[in-house]
Formats: sequence, structure tokens, C-alpha cells
Amino acid sequence: MRRIAFHPILEIEKPKTIKFFFEGRELEAFEGETIAAALVANGIDVFGQTEHSRPRGFYCAIGKCSSCLMIVDGVSNVRSCITLVKDGMQVERQVGRGEITW
Amino acid sequence: MKNEYKVAIIGGGIVGCSIAYHLAKFGENDVVVFEKDYLSSGSTGRCAGGIRQQWSSPHNVLLAMRSVSLFEKLSQETGVDIEYKQGGYLVLSYDDQEAAQFEKNVQMQRELGLDVEILTPKDVKQRYPYIDVSGVKMATFCQKDGHANPHLANFAYARAAQKLGVHIMTHTKVMAVEVLPNGFELFTNRGKIGAKILINAAGPHSREIGNMVGVDLPTESYRHQIMVTEAVKNFFNPMAISFSGNFYMRQTKHGQFIMGQGDPEEKPGINNNVTYRFEREMAEKMCAIFPFLSKLRIVRHWSGHYNMSPDAQPIIGESTSVPSFYYAIGFSGHGFMLAPAVGEALAQMIIYGRTLHVDITELNLDRFEKGVVREKNVV
Amino acid sequence: MVKTDFLIIGGGPAGLSAAIETSKRGLKTLIVDEGVELGGQLVKQTHKFFGHEGFYASVRGFEIAKRLISQLNENVTIMNQTTVTGIYEDIITAYDRENDLIVEIEPKYILISVGASERFIPFENNHLPGIYGAGAVQTLMNQFKVLPGKRVLMVGSGNIGLIVSYQLLQAGAQVKAIVEITEKVGGYQVHAAKVKRLGVPILLRHTIVKAIGDEKVEGAVIAQVDEKFNVIPGTERELAVDVICIAVGLVPSIELAQMAGVKIEYIPELGGFVPFRDREMRTNIKNIFVAGDLAGIEEATTAMIEGKIVGVAVARDLTGIDLQEDLEKMQKELVEFRSGPFSDKVRKGLERFFPQSAHSYSKDAQQDLGPTGKLRPIIECFENIPCNPCQTSCPSGAITVPGNINSLPLIDYSKCTGCGICAMKCPGLAIFMVQENHQPGRDLIVLPYEFLPLPEKGQKVIALDREGREVGQAEIVKVVKSSNKTHLVHLSVPAGLAQVVRSFRIPQKSDSIVCRCEEITVEEIERAIDEGYTDYEELRRYLRIGMGPCGGRTCRVITLSILARKTKKSIQEIGCGTFRPPSMPVKFDSIVKGEIDNEK
Ligand SMILES: Cc1cc2nc3c(=O)[nH]c(=O)nc-3n(C[C@H](O)[C@H](O)[C@H](O)COP(=O)(O)OP(=O)(O)OC[C@H]3O[C@@H](n4cnc5c(N)ncnc54)[C@H](O)[C@@H]3O)c2cc1C
Ligand SMILES: Cc1cc2nc3c(=O)[nH]c(=O)nc-3n(C[C@H](O)[C@H](O)[C@H](O)COP(=O)(O)OP(=O)(O)OC[C@H]3O[C@@H](n4cnc5c(N)ncnc54)[C@H](O)[C@@H]3O)c2cc1C
Ligand code: SF4
Ligand code: SF4
Repeated sequence: MRRIAFHPILEIEKPKTIKFFFEGRELEAFEGETIAAALVANGIDVFGQTEHSRPRGFYCAIGKCSSCLMIVDGVSNVRSCITLVKDGMQVERQVGRGEITW
Repeated sequence: MKNEYKVAIIGGGIVGCSIAYHLAKFGENDVVVFEKDYLSSGSTGRCAGGIRQQWSSPHNVLLAMRSVSLFEKLSQETGVDIEYKQGGYLVLSYDDQEAAQFEKNVQMQRELGLDVEILTPKDVKQRYPYIDVSGVKMATFCQKDGHANPHLANFAYARAAQKLGVHIMTHTKVMAVEVLPNGFELFTNRGKIGAKILINAAGPHSREIGNMVGVDLPTESYRHQIMVTEAVKNFFNPMAISFSGNFYMRQTKHGQFIMGQGDPEEKPGINNNVTYRFEREMAEKMCAIFPFLSKLRIVRHWSGHYNMSPDAQPIIGESTSVPSFYYAIGFSGHGFMLAPAVGEALAQMIIYGRTLHVDITELNLDRFEKGVVREKNVV
Repeated sequence: MVKTDFLIIGGGPAGLSAAIETSKRGLKTLIVDEGVELGGQLVKQTHKFFGHEGFYASVRGFEIAKRLISQLNENVTIMNQTTVTGIYEDIITAYDRENDLIVEIEPKYILISVGASERFIPFENNHLPGIYGAGAVQTLMNQFKVLPGKRVLMVGSGNIGLIVSYQLLQAGAQVKAIVEITEKVGGYQVHAAKVKRLGVPILLRHTIVKAIGDEKVEGAVIAQVDEKFNVIPGTERELAVDVICIAVGLVPSIELAQMAGVKIEYIPELGGFVPFRDREMRTNIKNIFVAGDLAGIEEATTAMIEGKIVGVAVARDLTGIDLQEDLEKMQKELVEFRSGPFSDKVRKGLERFFPQSAHSYSKDAQQDLGPTGKLRPIIECFENIPCNPCQTSCPSGAITVPGNINSLPLIDYSKCTGCGICAMKCPGLAIFMVQENHQPGRDLIVLPYEFLPLPEKGQKVIALDREGREVGQAEIVKVVKSSNKTHLVHLSVPAGLAQVVRSFRIPQKSDSIVCRCEEITVEEIERAIDEGYTDYEELRRYLRIGMGPCGGRTCRVITLSILARKTKKSIQEIGCGTFRPPSMPVKFDSIVKGEIDNEK
């Protein structure tokens, strides 16, 4: 786990935990955090691959750089760094461009 | 830059560059192109890149067919991949009267040798299950229609022309023209230049250039807005368009959806701003017809201009009042697709005194003296 | 459709300060901010800010945000998690993330105070997961309390690089090194001193050459550079790190301003392309103002003052009340602040808009170290920075920052009672208390300390000097806990080390692409330039740089600099390109939903 347990300046509250799924694997997250924060906290740095098979993580954390696009509940191109994680959410790595369903 | 050229072209859009390339290809490379900004900065770089042969008047069909045969060779001829794709144009009609006219058009188009299909709403649904066909009366489809990347096509002509010796001066604005007994003197922000022949390919600014030379060109520019989504995997092959439904949309090679509509309330004039009303109207209309769009995001929205002529067809030819002043203007929203054939035809007129592949005499300025018959197949 | 007197885009220190001024004068004020909480950069800052007390000096960033927010009254409406996506000819739109819809806004006046975005730099493998912007690391660490790794390489030694390094140490990570390509530290000396004495090396004339790793960052190669910033072959070396943090500066986020028709000028001293503004922060468009980092990369204090100026000017325009005095007072504050040498650049940049004036400040530094044997503060603050809490916090008036706030602090030891309050308050943690021979053969040193765990009385620790080198053993004699979380740790060290020891370590049992959207590389850009695409706009269209979902935020600056280098033109000549709405990708769905909502 990479959660900060104690901090000299900041209060560390213990928010409610929820469950979500990453590539089918059940993981724990805190309510109110972003998908990206939850993944990094669980030790997951690789969020997907570019079209040219380069691994992709997230970079800017404010929804501006497109590095963190993932498939969330079947919808691709979701910015995981500004989207809050929800109970039962299905998160998957996106490879290349997103796909559209109809 | 020299101070004297045989031919000076005003406008570094696809039309100007196509003319320059064809002139050089036919042996005249003492040519300069003036572009006040950068290449493709005008309508060309802002357009949708659609290439269609399904027109309502025969000469437009023929001109477009000639263009298509030139587009088919363009990447190879110039060495620049213009992302040309013949995914077809699906023309949807939402109006009974229009549908009846389409039947007649298709007959004419077939007579001219174009392979066009007539589709029922059911056919459309079967081929494109992701389109909601509610309200569709009928559709026509031509597989040989398609699209290309406008910037790349513009660059392709420019680079090929340069290789043949044409000079392209970007960030060079023509500010005034003096008509001499035996040519023209052009005043630019980089100095004075003389030319024997002057070509107006200034797109939205065509009328200004006409005024500089003293020829009234009856064109007027209207803003048209357009927008593009983020990229997704390719699945949507045709350019979908509707005159009665007022929209067009295609997926680029890169995976983005590019789309637009016309706005009857638009006033003439140059305006590069965009309105949110456009996004709102488009979102509502397009999500109903293409429901898969609803989860997709718009990444950019911009505007360009249609340089409109009174009958919505281009004005091409040589001025009768000022000899050696040529123009290829007033494309009325379809100059991208016509640029190859028009460039070729105008170059032939200048060098051989006549066109070799398509007859463009019907597109001369004189036609307005006889009255105006509008081209109907426009968005 | 939402109608309001005054729309503030961006609720950082600039936006909040403007809102305080307009709302207290009765104007309907709407703040739209895309963050989860209001406060902008402030909410991620855990350190005490510089400045003077009128503008919350010595208060921690996230607490400043709270204090500003508490001054807003019922005239203010707040929409957070909402991004302004476009300033169109007909309307302004904002995307409400929580309700997933577009809101239309029609204001009389607008302040754009959206701050800045981070620069990015090209190096081999810079796409690897584990490489973050400094802002992202702060968000993860200070907002979500998640540490992205254990061993960090910091690239850049400006204030942000230095502060984020310090914050990483506080959160429990190791900072292996800070590399700085120029020959001097970019940030304040007091910030640099804070990390140095904790043993973090600041490697000048060094840069990152490449990230190592297949799936994610496993290391980094750094190397020395020559005067032209070219890597000196043979100086490369590898560091084992799992996070590379990029802190190479900020660029004003001009997108919305440019879309709105605000004139943009290239002024490198202010961070690059910035909007035109006059003395009242009004742009060339009568009802559009700018303030804060968007107007020029500077500081929270100046952002707040600029915000106040805008608030007062808008209130005057809309209410017709004469507020000249309030305006002038704030304009004077700005001059006062910007008189120091760190503001030379900013003043030079601002000269392009209107004439600047500056007050003189004193460069006289404290000479004597006071009476040996007395418990007294030693102030190690030798740079003229706009800061004076040492003066204002001392209950006996012993410290003065004479004249202008950028002067150096001087201390009159005869007035000092040795209370230690100044050491607790100083945001630079630059004040240490010493007493020689407090016990025979031992000197006493009192250090400001902001780490966990706090040592305990009697504990043996390792004493460190200003560079973080071990200089001996020390014993904790007292820990004074402070409510502002800068605790005072009293150490007893061998005599003679009073002016040497400045830090300590608790012994441990065991030591344990240029364009991201389109994946375009530097080589591809260089090749295209060689092919003749030397116009930024042509280049963009040819390679699709900046056409992706990010709208060019990460790649524009790099591309411009490559182009400038290859074509030997100035960035100013090349221009900044055009921005198109929406400023962030907007779903069709949200527009349709918003329309239904807006009709209500
Ligand atoms: C939103 C939109 C969608 C469109 N979609 C399509 C489509 O799908 N298919 C299609 O075929 N067409 C389409 N069009 C129309 C098409 O873009 C134009 O007809 C075509 O690009 C015209 O090319 P051009 O070279 O004549 O003009 P432009 O590309 O406008 O070039 C003219 C150039 O002249 C320059 N210029 C003007 N005055 C001066 C001066 N005084 N000195 C120097 N330079 C000067 C301008 O800067 C400009 O670059 C669309 C247009 C718009 C706006
Ligand atoms: C690590 C670090 C340490 C610093 N330390 C100090 C210090 O010690 N002392 C000091 O004086 N200064 C310090 N600064 C500088 C200071 O934080 C900034 O100068 C200041 O925050 C600028 O204020 P602002 O209001 O202009 O912008 P910001 O604080 O950046 O606020 C901008 C706001 O706009 C919002 N926004 C952006 N785009 C949109 C949009 N399209 N729609 C809606 N909202 C939007 C953002 O969410 C954000 O809340 C530090 C900065 C950093 C990064
Ligand atoms: S130790 Fe106390 S009295 Fe002395 S200078 Fe500091 S605050 Fe003032
Ligand atoms: S010593 Fe005074 S001026 Fe220097 S950083 Fe500390 S409080 Fe600021």
C-alpha cells in the first residue's frame, strides 16, 4: 500500500472504504478519491497502452493531458484522474484509441 | 522572391496551390503564390474534406468526377499521404419533394457514368445499424465519393509545386494591385512585384481582390462552424450528409468525427468566432441520428467561410474587362473537392487557351447576366 | 441559463480575493472552479507562505484558502467541479462534472483567473508511468494522501521543485536528487537550505537524459551539461528511482482569454504568452479582467492583490461608487511587494503594459551573531525576498525588516528575550536558536522541525550540517510542540558546533513524448521542420500536434522551442497559435442534458 499513514502537517482521516474492480480484480478504494489515486494507492501505475504499445500512466492529475484514459463501466476515454471511483465500478486498461459501442 | 513573375496567384489555399502545381506541371513554373498567413490558413484548413460527385447539375458532376480521378493519384504523384479514402457519401433525405428530385438526379448522374445507389431507410439500417433512420425518406449512395485530409492535400500541392520551381511566399499579403497596360503590379508587405498574369484564388477575400483590380465579383463570405470529437477506433466509413436535415459528418482516418451544419441566420462578413448555439443544436440533432455519439467528447470547434456566389456554384475564368485577370472563387462550400479539377482546368486555359478534360465555360462570370439557377445539393 | 453580475473563472487566491471585494459590496458573484475544493494551488500547499501578515504570511497554503473562503458572503454562488469550457460569441459555457451537464452563463463582468499549467520536457522514455508533473504529485500526496513511490528524482530547482521535494520528504519519500540545468538554484535560498540540510543533493548544471524501465520507471539517467546545456558525454550516471517528478516551470493558461478575444503578448519575463491588461487588470475587452498566474507567473500574494484590484474596479464600474482610494491602496501594495530583486523580471515584463516603479530596499545583512552564551536567534535569511513575519511576530520588537518588505531582517539582540516565536513563525525555516555552553562542553541548538515522528526527550540523534552531512551525535533535550506544526526541537551538541549543526536525523534501524495525446516525438517534429514545415500552424496541422484532447497544453511550449531552435527564430516571432473551444473535451450528452436544464 502506498497510502500515507501519518503526516506532520496534514490530518489523515479514515474515509469510508468501497470496492471496485480493476481488470476484474477486486480492489479497495476510499470514497471521494479519483480512480487514478485509488489505482496508485493499490500499486498500479500502468493505466493502459498507447496505440504504439507504449505503457501509459497518468501525468497531470487535472484532466488535461490524456495520459490517464481508461475504460470505465464499458465507456472508453474516461479521464481516470478526475473521475471519482464508485462502489462496484469496473475499471479496465485502455489500449490505443477508445472503442464506441452502439 | 524575384520582382517579376509570369504568373502571380493570390491565395495559398488548395485552389491557389492546385493552380500553381498544374501550371508548373504543364511547363509554366515562373509562378509565385502569395499567402497572407500560412498555407491552409483560409477555408481549406477549416473545411471538412468531403469529396462528393453526387450533384444536381451535370457540369458539377463532371467536374467532381474529374477531381476524384485526380485525388486518386494525388498521394502518389506528390509523395504526401493525403489520407484519401473512398468510403462513399451517404446522402439522407428527410423530405418527400427532395427525395423525388434525388431520383431524377441519380438518373442524370448515372447517365454521366457515376455509379450511384438508391437506398430505402431499411437498406440504410441494414448497412449502418448504428444510424437511427427515423424520418428518413430515402438515401443515395456513391461508393467512389469520400474524403481526404484538407491540410495534407493543401500541403501536397504546395510542396509538389515548389519542387517544380514555383515560389510560395507565406505571410505575404497583397494589399493593392495596379493594372498596367501589359500586366499587373502587386503591392505586398514585402515589396512590389510585377506579373503578366494575375489569378484570384483568395477564397473568402475574393471580392476584395476583385475590387483591387476593378472587377466586381459577386461573391459574399458566410461563416460556417464545424467541430471535431476525440478519436475512437475507426468503424464509420461514409460521409453522411443531408441537405434537408442540414448536417454532414464523417470519421477521419485518425478516428475523430468531424461535423457541421449550415445556419440560415448567418450574416455575410468575415467572422472567426464560434457560438455555443451551434454546439447545442448539433448535439441534439446528431445524437438523435447517431446515438453512439452521446458518450463521445467534442475537443475542438472552429469556424471558416463559404465564399458564396449567387447560384452557389464557383466562378471560374478570365475577366472580360481586365484581360489576364483570372479567378477561381465563389466555391460556395465545395471548393476543396473541386480544387484538383479546377486547378487543372484553369492551368490549361492559361497555357493552352482551352480546357482539355472538363468544360468550365458555364462557370464564367457572364452567366449571371442570364439569370441565376441555384445548385441545390449544398449544406 | 445563469445570470450574474460578476463571473469569476478560477477560484484560486486571485479569484477568491476578487469575490471578497465584490460580494461585500453587494454584487452577485459567481465563482466557477474545476477543482473539488476552492483555493487553486493553495489547497495543495502544506508549507507556510511568505509575504506579510495582511496577506497571510506564515500561514500554510491550505489554511489560507480556508480563510479566504470564510470571507465570502451570501452574494457569492460557488460552482465547483465545474470547468468553463468556452467563451463563445453568444454565451459562456461550463461543464458541471458532478451532474454531467453543460451550464450556460451570462455575466456582466468576467474575471479570468485560471492560473497556469505545467511545462513538460522531452527526454528519452518520458512517457513511462511513474513520471509526473509536480502538481500531480502534490494532488496525490497532499489531497489524496497517496505517495506514488518511495525514491524520487526531482527535475528543476525553482521554488516548486524545492517545495515539492520538501513535501515529499515530509510524506515519507526519499528525494535522491534535485537536478537543475542552470548554474544556480532557481528558487529561494531559504527553500533550498531546507532540503539541503536534510541531505538532498541539488545538482547544478545537471539534467535528466532518460528514464529507465519497460512498464514503469525503475531508474533515471542524469548527466552534467555544458554552458549550452548540451550533455557532456561520459558524465551520465544512473539513479535508482521509481518516481520522476517534473518541476520545470509554469505557463499561463491563456486559452480562455484568447478565445474571448483578449490580446495576447509574448513576455518571457511573465512566463511566456500573457494577456494584455492595464493598471486595473482590465484587458482590451472592457468587461474582461485577468489576475494571478494567468496574468504572469508570480506568487499567491500578488495574485491576491491583483484579485482585490479587479474586485474593486468591477464594483466601482457596476455600482458607480467612487472607490479610487481602495484601488490606489492595492496598487501601492503591489509596488511594495514587487520592489525586490526576485521581481526585477516581473517588473521588466510589466513595463510592456505600463510604467513600473519600485521602492529601494536594504541589502544590509545582520553582521554580528549576538552575545555568545545567550539563548538567541540566528537568522540565516540572506536574500532580498518579500517577507517579514519575523518582524511582525516578535513580541519584543527585536527584529526589523527596515523600509521595504524586501529588505533583509536585522536583529537587535539587546531587545530579544529568547522566546523562539520568530523561529516558529518564519516560513523559510531560516531562524535557529543557539546558546553556547548551555552545559559545560555542550552547545544548545533549537531547530524548527516539521517531520514525523517527533523525537523524544533523551533520544540520541545524528547531527547534520547545512549540507546534510553528519557532524556528530546530539541529544534531544526538549521538544516544544507548536499549534502551527513547526515544532521546536532542542538539541544538545558538542561545544563548538552551535554554528555548524542545522539539522538532524533519527537513526534508522534499517535503511530500507513531446505530445502525449498523439505520441509525437522530438525526432518527428525535427524531421517535419526539415521537410519545410517551419510555420507553427502548418507544423501543427501536418503532425496533429496539439490537436488531441489536451488542446496542446503539454506539447505547445516544447514544439515552439524546438521550432525556435531549428529555425533560429524567436518564440515571439513564431507566435502562440490559436486556441479553440471547448477548453476541455465535452460530451454530447452533457450538452443535451444541459439544454434541458438550461431551459428550466
Ligand atoms: C466549415 C466548412 C466545411 C467545408 N466542408 C467542405 C467539404 O466537405 N468539401 C469541400 O469540397 N469543401 C468544403 N468547404 C469549402 C472549402 O473549404 C472551400 O471551398 C475551399 O477550401 C476553398 O479553397 P480556396 O483555396 O479557394 O480558399 P482558401 O483556402 O480560403 O484560400 C484562400 C487563401 O487566400 C489568402 N488570401 C486572401 N486574401 C489575400 C491577400 N490579399 N493576400 C494574400 N493572401 C490572401 C487567404 O489567407 C487564404 O489562405 C467547407 C468550408 C467550411 C468553412
Ligand atoms: C508548489 C508551489 C508552491 C508555492 N509556494 C508559494 C509560496 O510559498 N508563496 C506564494 O506567495 N506563492 C506560492 N506559490 C504560487 C501560488 O500558489 C500561485 O502564484 C497562486 O496560487 C496563483 O493564484 P491564481 O489564483 O492565479 O491561480 P491558481 O491558484 O492556480 O488557481 C486557479 C484556479 O482556476 C481553476 N481553473 C482553471 N481552469 C479552469 C476552468 N477552465 N474553469 C474553471 N476553473 C478553472 C483551477 O481549478 C484553480 O482552482 C506556489 C505554487 C506552487 C505550485
Ligand atoms: S526569540 Fe523571541 S524575542 Fe527574540 S527575536 Fe525571536 S521572537 Fe523576538
Ligand atoms: S527570516 Fe524573516 S524575512 Fe527571512 S524568511 Fe524568515 S520570516 Fe521571512
